[in-house]
Amino acid sequence: MKPFTLRKPNDIKQALSGKKAGEAYIAGGTNLVDLMKKHIAEPDALLDVTTALSAGIETSSRGIRIGAMVRNSHIASHAAIQSQYPLLAKAILAGASPQIRNMASTAGNLLQRTRCPYFYDITLPCNKRKPGSGCGALEGENRMSAIVGYSEHCVAVHPSDMCVALAALDASVVVSGSGGKSESIPFASFHRLPGTTPEIDNNLPVNALITAVEIPANAFHKHYAYLKVRDRTSYAFALVSVAAALQLSGTKITAARLASGGVAHKPWRWHEAEKFLQGKEATAANFSQAAAIAARSTKPLSHNGYKVTMLQGAIETALHNCLNA
Amino acid sequence: MEKQTYSRRFFLSTSSMAAAAVALIPGNVKAFYKNVKKRFIPAKSVNTLSLTINQKQYTVQADTRTTLLDLLREQLQLTGSKKGCDHGQCGACTVHVNGERVLSCLTLAALVQNQPITTIEGLAEGDQLHPMQQAFIECDGFQCGYCTPGQIMSAVACVKEGHTHSVEEIKEFMSGNLCRCGAYNGIVESIQKVAAR
Amino acid sequence: MRFFENQPAVTNAPEGRVEGVAKVTGSGKYAAEYHAGNMCYAVMAGSTIASGTIKSIHTTDARQVAGVLDIITHTRKPLVPGMADAAKIKESRFGLPVFHTDNIYFKGQPIALVIAETLEDATYAASLISAEYTTTEAKVDFDKAHAAVPLNAAGKERGSADAWRDAPYQSEAEYTIEHEVHNPMEMHATIAHWEGPDKLKLYDKNQGVNNVQRTFARLWNIPADNIEVFSEFVGGGFGSGLRVWPHCLAAIMAAKQVNRPVKLVLTRPQMFLLTGYRPKSWQKVRMGADAGGRFTGLLHQARHSTSVYESFNDGITRISRMVYNISNVKTEQATVPLNMSTPTWMRGPGDCSGAFAVECTVDELSYQLKQDPVALRLKNLAITHDPESGKPWSTHYLNECIEKGAALINWQQRKPLPGQDKEGDWAIGYGMATGMWNAGRGNASAGITMQRDGAITVKTAMTDIGTGTGTGIQNIAHEQTGIAKNKIKIELGNSHLPPAPSQGGSTGLSTISGAVAATCNALKQKLAGYAAAQDDTYKNAQAADIVLSDTGISWQTAGNHFIAYTSLFEKNNLTTVEVEASSGPGAERQQYAFCSSAAHFCRVKVHTKTGKVKIDKMVTVADGGSIVNEKAAANQISGAVVGGIGMALMEEQATDQRYGSLIGNDLAGYHFAVNADAPVIEVAFINKPDKNINPSGAKGLGEVGIIGCAAAIVNAIYHATGKRLRSLPVTPDKILLG
Repeated sequence: MKPFTLRKPNDIKQALSGKKAGEAYIAGGTNLVDLMKKHIAEPDALLDVTTALSAGIETSSRGIRIGAMVRNSHIASHAAIQSQYPLLAKAILAGASPQIRNMASTAGNLLQRTRCPYFYDITLPCNKRKPGSGCGALEGENRMSAIVGYSEHCVAVHPSDMCVALAALDASVVVSGSGGKSESIPFASFHRLPGTTPEIDNNLPVNALITAVEIPANAFHKHYAYLKVRDRTSYAFALVSVAAALQLSGTKITAARLASGGVAHKPWRWHEAEKFLQGKEATAANFSQAAAIAARSTKPLSHNGYKVTMLQGAIETALHNCLNA
Repeated sequence: MEKQTYSRRFFLSTSSMAAAAVALIPGNVKAFYKNVKKRFIPAKSVNTLSLTINQKQYTVQADTRTTLLDLLREQLQLTGSKKGCDHGQCGACTVHVNGERVLSCLTLAALVQNQPITTIEGLAEGDQLHPMQQAFIECDGFQCGYCTPGQIMSAVACVKEGHTHSVEEIKEFMSGNLCRCGAYNGIVESIQKVAAR
Repeated sequence: MRFFENQPAVTNAPEGRVEGVAKVTGSGKYAAEYHAGNMCYAVMAGSTIASGTIKSIHTTDARQVAGVLDIITHTRKPLVPGMADAAKIKESRFGLPVFHTDNIYFKGQPIALVIAETLEDATYAASLISAEYTTTEAKVDFDKAHAAVPLNAAGKERGSADAWRDAPYQSEAEYTIEHEVHNPMEMHATIAHWEGPDKLKLYDKNQGVNNVQRTFARLWNIPADNIEVFSEFVGGGFGSGLRVWPHCLAAIMAAKQVNRPVKLVLTRPQMFLLTGYRPKSWQKVRMGADAGGRFTGLLHQARHSTSVYESFNDGITRISRMVYNISNVKTEQATVPLNMSTPTWMRGPGDCSGAFAVECTVDELSYQLKQDPVALRLKNLAITHDPESGKPWSTHYLNECIEKGAALINWQQRKPLPGQDKEGDWAIGYGMATGMWNAGRGNASAGITMQRDGAITVKTAMTDIGTGTGTGIQNIAHEQTGIAKNKIKIELGNSHLPPAPSQGGSTGLSTISGAVAATCNALKQKLAGYAAAQDDTYKNAQAADIVLSDTGISWQTAGNHFIAYTSLFEKNNLTTVEVEASSGPGAERQQYAFCSSAAHFCRVKVHTKTGKVKIDKMVTVADGGSIVNEKAAANQISGAVVGGIGMALMEEQATDQRYGSLIGNDLAGYHFAVNADAPVIEVAFINKPDKNINPSGAKGLGEVGIIGCAAAIVNAIYHATGKRLRSLPVTPDKILLG
């Protein structure tokens, strides 16, 4: 690691006003410390925001508000999350390991960087790490890379499982800017696609902090599934993951949510497939059709064509599992 | 061979200028200048830390970069917590902070001051092994023993968290601790044994 | 050692391994965990190209880092005498002449070593090292390179190589296995300490302290006795510790350079680059069977990768020559040099790769023949004689392993045709395969020190890499002497103890058990000699006449002519009794062939929509001769099976051909099995002694647990899905596209 100094702001105001260019906030540290060890992140100073940010979960009839500092494992074990937003708990438990979930913060999960091996190896080209150096994965080892929403500048995928559930549940990200003003960013517009500037992962304003994540109340707690396909049974990033949730009236689908991880630079919603499912019977044939619709919009790279087949199978299976949940 | 020394004063006098200059130069030109000018090397930041480890108070001088794992192993000679990857990918460094299992390799020591930390060295009470340590010996839950302290710290937490309802659940909640010897049979059996008590 | 001395005094430890308390309390010291006064840290920086020469190395930035003591490069180093010139380098057979060449053979090759006061300083400074190179074209694409490399005969041709072509049933197919990496949990590390100008102490992770000692005695041109190597606790090896690697020499050079003890711990990515791996391989197997299911001919060809600076031959086709009775056999091999570091033996070397191809071929033939894979194997096993040497097997119970395994997994429930058993989207299948391994034995020495109270310490330089060697030695010494286990201490992993070979190839226990038995006999003889001064009965006693107990010596039966140790020690004015003895293989090797074997059975569930494979049940039955310690032996086998699961389903080191880079060379990028990947593995043993191999009757178990394991799993996947997959690992994508 490059040497750095350390400060600990007492509150959000101090945290916002005290950060200079070239400095970084640290919460759980599970991603940042790793990146610093790899000389990918080299901040001059760290601002420890573990006490400045809220570690509380508040519930109301309108939804739930999860403080930026709530550890991932605490979300997953929270009674209200388990009963009202079980898809989120399930997605979190599919990610990382119990130790990492005990450390990782809500905000940090949103802000974690890609695990693309070209990003992680500083001797290889990567536009996200070093703009202008090229995308090593585009024509290289891209088995794990994106199949949708990528650009020639970057084919990396977002590694989070939690965010896939948050995307499916139409969450929003509450941020505080340097003026102390709070704003709410819809989850769908929080993470970015790479375009020509893959070095920018998301639309968090400069010098702003995530203070909370909010999920509106919903009725997806009965029929939901999170399915993650990976190279080993646990403690591995997704090849493809699917968050699926249905609202049913009898056997008829009144609302559907479908999102995926491991396929794009951001958690990916399959809006067209969702639209197709709305009003349809919850049958294998319709699930299969929805999966095909999602797959149609993908464009795999040289080594990840399998992801399209896998995605279809995973969507079908996840939707099927919703009925047994 | 020529003895080389580097004076601190030297780089203090040149560093601030170099930093300003380098920041403004585009990458390709920077590479050229690198051969000519010395890069700005920030001074390390060493502070006095106060840590509570295994119910004992430690006051140490530590670099901000020092992880809890390196502090334990290199400065305090508490080498029970192991380094298997140093990047949060293996679980060998698992310790408890505030009673929860975490990875000490991704924890900066300065960030866990005055929080109760328990390492494998603090698990036994006096001359009495912790039941999980006993179970690991009895069930032969290890071979080379290198991942074992991390496995045991994780196993103790796994029981406390209540993730022991089935073999599958134990296996899933112990999957953050790699064992290359593959002693998973004995690890699961040890946890079942302790959970059944 | 310190198996005992370092562990905290506890009063409630259950019975287990001799080093159990040390391991569960974290008090056992692995190489990097020793502390030497005034110690500093070394970190290596690697090349950023895969092939070429170094033009210049820039260390200026790194030297500015406070705390940096020195930086070693090929132009600034303490010269290692054994690497003084090109001829000496070649003669040293050390492999990579680290910091003694400007040639770059692979990406990540160490080009500089930063020595600093703290690990943080050294790590940061190493990141500031850069170099300019003259780059030449790198070759890292095995798939592209291998076809052009001619094959060479591996062993004598038996009968006709083409006999398989005339058979009514034939299988002809190619098999590939990706580059796999040992990745023991403990990263290789060395603490080097020059205690004098020609006196060196090393705390090092390896599988053979005497090998390390000899290597550096040669390279530094100093007497072996001047080098002491400690490897008391070794955090796994799997073959990666059988060689002495460049970092170990680098640490010694660094300690010389700064004249202080230096600690060098590899990073996990460096582990992938600098401590060997199982080479990537291609195989072609052509095999024929007659209508009755007798194998008539086998042509087995294999190529695998090696480095451009050394040739390593894994011996992939060896297994084809030992398992089945086939009168026509031809085996051919070749190594393919690439700009990668040198591969090395990895658990079940050669045979593990070979068995995958051959056991899948046998499975394929079984479906063609419509014969049960179990029955087909039983019919063809070379169970009485080694087909290669023609010698009778000393003992060989692979047939019993197969029969027992089939019973344990309920093989009769298996449906004969593939793709017949479904549970929703899950396809269920059964598979089996066999593994064999030559049961070797080396020469070793062991010593015993007895105290006045009858407590003994058994000592040998051999390491215990987690196999339970120390516990096995205690068991054998207890059986041989009758002294209670709690009065038997073990010292090992130190080069100043009685010499022993490296621990590898499943020979550890087989080798050391003879030495321990011999030294127990020597102890009896020596005590009898002292006893003879008090009681004539003991004159000219043979070891077999002597019965020892916790408290004293007896003649032929316990209590007969009993003399207490305290009395013996007093009368003979002794403080301790010391004996040492050696033992090794003998004429039995001319008479017999020796092998261990195993049969693997599994039931898998394959999710046909996502490609997920779940191993539902796994049974392995092994013949390792006498089982000295059932718990440790079962652990050894189930652990090897976990390795086999990894090999079958996930282990794969990717490379990028354009940059000569390993891709994702860390424990997140390279997957091996986590706890959830393995079912609770069922292990059983034949447990019949091999009376010819050594006094303990134990044949060694380290390798057979993994050999054939991947084939059993892949055969089960075929049975479940009808998809014959011939490229390891079988990741979900291959299932879906297969």
